[in-house]
Amino acid sequence: MWSATERRRPVEWLQFGLGALIVAAMFYPTVWMVLSAFKSNREIFRDPFGLPDEWRWSNFSEAWAQGGLGGLYVNSMIVTLVAVTLAVGCATAAAFAFSRLEFPGRRWLYRLLLIGLLLPPPVVAIPLFGILRDLGLLNTLWALILPGAAWSLSLTVFVMYGYFNSVRPDMEEAALLEGASTWQIFRDISVPMVWPSMLTMAIVNTINIWNELMFALLFITDDDKRTLPVGLIRFFGRYSTDYAMVFAALTITTVPILALYFLLQRHVIAGLSSTAMD
Amino acid sequence: MSEVEGKRLATGRINLLFALPALTLFGLFVLLPIGSSVWFAFTKWNGFTTPEAVGFDNFRRAFRDTVHLWSYVNVTLYILGTLVLEVMFGLVIAVLLNSDRFGFGLMRGMFFSPMILSMTAAGVLWTFVLDYRLGLLNAVLESVGREEWTRPWLSESATALIAIMVVSGWRFAGFYMIIFFAALRRIPRNIYEAATLDGAGPVRQFFTITLPLLRASMMTCILLAVTGGFAGFDLFFTLTNGGPFNATEVPATWIIRQGFDNNQLGYATALTVILAVVVLAVALLFLRISERVNVVRY
Repeated sequence: MWSATERRRPVEWLQFGLGALIVAAMFYPTVWMVLSAFKSNREIFRDPFGLPDEWRWSNFSEAWAQGGLGGLYVNSMIVTLVAVTLAVGCATAAAFAFSRLEFPGRRWLYRLLLIGLLLPPPVVAIPLFGILRDLGLLNTLWALILPGAAWSLSLTVFVMYGYFNSVRPDMEEAALLEGASTWQIFRDISVPMVWPSMLTMAIVNTINIWNELMFALLFITDDDKRTLPVGLIRFFGRYSTDYAMVFAALTITTVPILALYFLLQRHVIAGLSSTAMD
Repeated sequence: MSEVEGKRLATGRINLLFALPALTLFGLFVLLPIGSSVWFAFTKWNGFTTPEAVGFDNFRRAFRDTVHLWSYVNVTLYILGTLVLEVMFGLVIAVLLNSDRFGFGLMRGMFFSPMILSMTAAGVLWTFVLDYRLGLLNAVLESVGREEWTRPWLSESATALIAIMVVSGWRFAGFYMIIFFAALRRIPRNIYEAATLDGAGPVRQFFTITLPLLRASMMTCILLAVTGGFAGFDLFFTLTNGGPFNATEVPATWIIRQGFDNNQLGYATALTVILAVVVLAVALLFLRISERVNVVRY
């Protein structure tokens, strides 16, 4: 009988080689972006593949100042932080209510909340514009925070509800017998219990809201209230012939996020795959 | 989904308070706009005057608007393309990179990394990759002596939509790879060992063991790709904004152009209602089919 390990060896090398080749091709545009950010316009055109002759760090400070990237970063951070906190907080409380408590309309209210899973946000862009204007929120960061949080609720409630239902309510029932109020149970027992899922959903929603484009394009008109995705498009529109500058801006806006991702890789991937699971 | 339908901690109207913040937020910014779009869709409205009821005019116009009708053809082609370049490619890579050996974890991480970039960053980056003069793709073609293949990928009608599919595949394949990878990990090893003992090769094992066991994930992925595809906006907006000559116009870009560039908010709202009905119909039909084969359960 042949030995499985002996026979598998060359196949495994083939698997590794093929995988490495495809991954390298997929990752190359990102590398190319970073390398080009250090070059001059002439050099990008003359030698697109090579390392920069001279590492021009000044491209970055120039792009940072010209594009007002600092302000864009701050706005994106405010919007993402507030919207994600709001979405995960509200969704956890709602999932707790749907899973652990009884009240009139529980089932159909839960179903209603899931509508957002099937409908894409472009469907409401226009009426939402009118509503935000009537509320006086147009052209404020709230115009991105509140709809952003609201459109994250369906998925977050769905996942949190599933998580609540997969954990037996023994601890909560014990606390109830000891005379704790529903609010105390939620705060002191349920939230610590579902904390890992809340973090997962915070990561998923952060990626979505940080990258949101359409609402940010339609509901914000002042330059100083823009977020990164729109700011980047406008920067590209203004400097579309100054390649080095655009590559520098792209690198500044993506590399910190990529670095954060490679640090938290395990959590991000676990989070994203859990949302698509049953 | 495993459900622990135990006894409830508390009953009574007061418990609604826990769900109230979420319901308020959802009602105000999701349900209210959906509801009011049904009214706006039947009006003529430029955003400044009061909407004026015009009956079914907007819908009659929508079905005569050739660009609008073509946008559904384009988005269907796009979705078919993404099923290959995102879902199938993701599955192949998930199988290829399914190993515990050194280096495979990093390769999975790198393959997934485009998902972390915003669509706009990905779009701007790929505008340069596909650029006619200094684009990476044309530079590669020239360096391997295929100069006659170089072209302005995004500004030729024949290639623009395909180019967008490729960019979309580049960005999303990692997402589907991760879903399939997580499912692959739940397939017990000994099934493969038994198949190897029975003399089945890796290809045969893929088709007789892996694929059938991945059916639930496959259904989820297809649903995500189809509903997500209909809503596609960001990449189209960044790469071509519907051009050249409406060759990459999809429902979302056409809606935004009608609504906010041409100030025809009533007509654009009618288009969103049509889009919503189409997406809901496709999603429900899909869920009905997959429920019948007992895979996706809500």
